[in-house]
Amino acid sequence: MTGRWFPDEMPVPAASAETAGWWEAAAAHRLVVQRCDACGTTRHPPGPVCPSCRSAAASWHAVPGTGTVYTYTVVRQAFIPALADRVPYVVVVVALDGSGGARLVSNVVDADATEVTVGMPVEVVWEDMGPELALPRFRPRGTPSEPS
Amino acid sequence: MGGAPVSATGAFVVGVGETRYAKWGGIDDKSEYQLAIEAILAALADAGLGVDDVDGLSSFAEDRNDATFVAADLGIPELRYAGLSWLPGGGGACAAVANAAAAVQSGTAEVVVVYRSLCQGQFRRFGRGPGNAPAAGRRVPAVRRARGILDAHVAFTMPFGVFGPPIAYAMVLQRHMHRYGTTAEHMGHVAVTTRAHAARNPRAVMGGRPMTMEDYFEARLVSEPFRLFDCCLENDGACAVVVTTAARAADAASTPVALLGSAQGTLRGFGHGQYSNVGMPDDDYASAGARGVAARLWAAAGVGPGDIDVAQIYDHFTGLVLLSLEDFGFCGRGEGGPLAASGALAWPDGALPTNTHGGSLSEAYIHGLNHVVEGVRQLRGQSTCQVAGAETCLVTSAAGVPTSALVLGRP
Repeated sequence: MTGRWFPDEMPVPAASAETAGWWEAAAAHRLVVQRCDACGTTRHPPGPVCPSCRSAAASWHAVPGTGTVYTYTVVRQAFIPALADRVPYVVVVVALDGSGGARLVSNVVDADATEVTVGMPVEVVWEDMGPELALPRFRPRGTPSEPS
Repeated sequence: MGGAPVSATGAFVVGVGETRYAKWGGIDDKSEYQLAIEAILAALADAGLGVDDVDGLSSFAEDRNDATFVAADLGIPELRYAGLSWLPGGGGACAAVANAAAAVQSGTAEVVVVYRSLCQGQFRRFGRGPGNAPAAGRRVPAVRRARGILDAHVAFTMPFGVFGPPIAYAMVLQRHMHRYGTTAEHMGHVAVTTRAHAARNPRAVMGGRPMTMEDYFEARLVSEPFRLFDCCLENDGACAVVVTTAARAADAASTPVALLGSAQGTLRGFGHGQYSNVGMPDDDYASAGARGVAARLWAAAGVGPGDIDVAQIYDHFTGLVLLSLEDFGFCGRGEGGPLAASGALAWPDGALPTNTHGGSLSEAYIHGLNHVVEGVRQLRGQSTCQVAGAETCLVTSAAGVPTSALVLGRP
């Protein structure tokens, strides 16, 4: 599912030659991690070679989009004016299922900030920040989708 | 430690200097660069040396004040060493001193000045990263082209609202709390103890602001579990230290302080720390990331945690002090909070008086180079919270990023 949770004024991600494929997949609402073609080790953020076997051959491995909260913080201070009426918000590190141990920094949305805990099961939702820019956020697994 | 330590590295700190420290924006009559120059000259005067004696300059990553310009503008006759540690932000202060020591030990240079100037009022909050925001009301069609490796890496954190270090490092503490039961009160002990030390230090930005545990808990939450006073200061100021050889140290105007040992670097997978890499092994994630640096430091210095009389532990956040105490072996993993709560960090009666100048939380945030300055003062007997008979001081740089550490000794 998709929705809008954060303002347009959020920082714009930048892509390098190594990371552009991840952002292209995200724009198509596909959550991926980079996986070494030689030894199968996954890595995130994407990089030029495999940190285990140093092969440069790699593919984008689709993950199911489920995972658990590894750690989190409830942000209470609005660091940019556009967030003044959007605090608190929750930043998380998600341990991604089926990813070979990769973790992703993201947000938990559609949840009361005080309900987020380490170990909470979550699933991906997509926020279209622009025509070719989408960010994966996460909601508690099983939350019914709400139109936005 | 018994007896007179010698400097195993062959290097000594013979001068320390600093400018006035002031809250963010408090220094507007001098540029950050002018403050760097002022601090360098003050450190040289303390050592009884002049610019003509200097042949090396050393700093660490993200310094805006290039050594080449410093050399030209000071009129250094011939620069023989210009070192910059790659260790990011506050991780590199001790490494910059260690690199200066390596330069004088190898004969590359003879008198090296290490410096840091940080005017957040003139630039902006440190650690905000290069991410930019679109103009209000304009949607951004797509990702933009990265201006460098860091820019591409913070794309995986900043667009998710990781606007500053308090947010990034709060998640490390949350994991530590989850694993070990560390509490906000444990962190509060660091904040309150450090503030009490600052009250005795006329240089401290927060010297006139006493704080109780009640004050600590009443302050607003910034990014849970961090409250306002868990976070270090944002301020203006500069400091510098002068490193030289044993032969030159013998003629110094000040009491030389020996560099007993140093270590620097990072465990696998840390990258730029929490802004870029969160995939390190679980035991390392909920730590200062300094396990390797600590082991190599104690081996290099020939002492252990039980030999340390006083410590200056990098305190960008209260909670990270607890994690550094664990990594450097003053207690077991997960026991940093109870150690702080026991009063161990408090001058004068604690087992390990820590951040006796007030640290980055209450003296000034100069990326931890002021922690080196305070270590030198302790071993000269000149601290405002002087530990009686101190012969050894541990100084550490930032936790949670590639980092470095020193042991200083009274020769």
